[in-house]
Amino acid sequence: MFTSDSALGLGGRRYAARPVKSFRRAVLALGVTGLVAAVLRLRGTGGVPPQSGGWRELSGPDLR
Amino acid sequence: MRVAVLGAGAVGARVAQQVAASPEVDEVVVADTDGGRAEAVCRSVGAQARAVDPRGPWSEGADVAVLAFDAGRHVGPATRLVEAGVSVVSTSSAIGDVRALLALDAAAAGRGLAVAVGASMAPGLSCVLAAHAAARFDVVHEIHVARMGTGGPACARQHHHALHHDALEWRDGEWLERRGGAGRELSWFPDPVGARDCYQAALPDALLLLQRFPEATRISGRLAATRRDRFTMGVPMLRRPHPEGRVGAVRVEVRGQRDGASETAVYGAIDRPAAAAGTVAAVVAVWLSTGRIDARGAGGLAALVDPVPFLSELARRGVKAAVFEGAPVT
Repeated sequence: MFTSDSALGLGGRRYAARPVKSFRRAVLALGVTGLVAAVLRLRGTGGVPPQSGGWRELSGPDLR
Repeated sequence: MRVAVLGAGAVGARVAQQVAASPEVDEVVVADTDGGRAEAVCRSVGAQARAVDPRGPWSEGADVAVLAFDAGRHVGPATRLVEAGVSVVSTSSAIGDVRALLALDAAAAGRGLAVAVGASMAPGLSCVLAAHAAARFDVVHEIHVARMGTGGPACARQHHHALHHDALEWRDGEWLERRGGAGRELSWFPDPVGARDCYQAALPDALLLLQRFPEATRISGRLAATRRDRFTMGVPMLRRPHPEGRVGAVRVEVRGQRDGASETAVYGAIDRPAAAAGTVAAVVAVWLSTGRIDARGAGGLAALVDPVPFLSELARRGVKAAVFEGAPVT
């Protein structure tokens, strides 16, 4: 038989059953974790550090 | 002198062309399971080249045979070639192939033959650059190789495989297995390739370099990869690989001591990976058959060739190495 929240003295607020609430929290946590992991995995390095000098082709004296 | 080439793909075609361009070579025999492709390569090479069936005695009469087909399947043909008295040049970059080919050392040496292992851009040119850089030091402590780009479809498949499998790193006297696709490092390749993110991958460079530099405390290899490469590395390739990749690069950083001081040397090269690999394999094949490489047994190029004349010959054929002169700004 259906019992209303007010009849139970809960002031009209509706509470999800504990297993459902835990499940929702787990799904939310997994989702957030997955999102953060995907971002960390795929994002770039945030730019290339500067350097001095450069590349010089090997020739003549280098190859004797 | 006769050189046999097994595989008429992007690398095999370059090997045949480069070998035929060597005055010491009288005949190039090209074998491929796709007879039409072998014929096409031979037409492009000229009268010196002849297509043969790989199911027959394709290497008969050859002084040297070059294996230029899919990595991971070089051991069987190489073993049969050594038993038949033919020196072998393998372009494979698969760790399994490299390990097994190095194990042919005693068999090859006993017959007075050589098995050149990993004769391509990386490994291959990377090993020669490491040997060249090491000549600047009294003691070599660390060697770090990075590679970017792919040659033909077989190379693209190997790139995909390497990124998804464990990397081998030599550290303080033992092999460590590192997770492929992880361990990002920014590597500076010669211009115009520039800086690329590189990751641990199943590359055989460390195996080959340890043979030449047993005193080194760290040897590692990394592979440049895009976000899409990493995102899809865990699943089969979703589309057919390109016929040939664009420009690629190799970078070798060697750290050691000279006159009591710690120093770092960085060498590199850029080229189409298939073109560079084909040229490296061809020069090794020609030098083996003419006796310019007189080493016997199985080994990587760092152990087999004298780096200065080898790099000079590569430069003459259009594969030019470079040295980095400068330092990161901190």
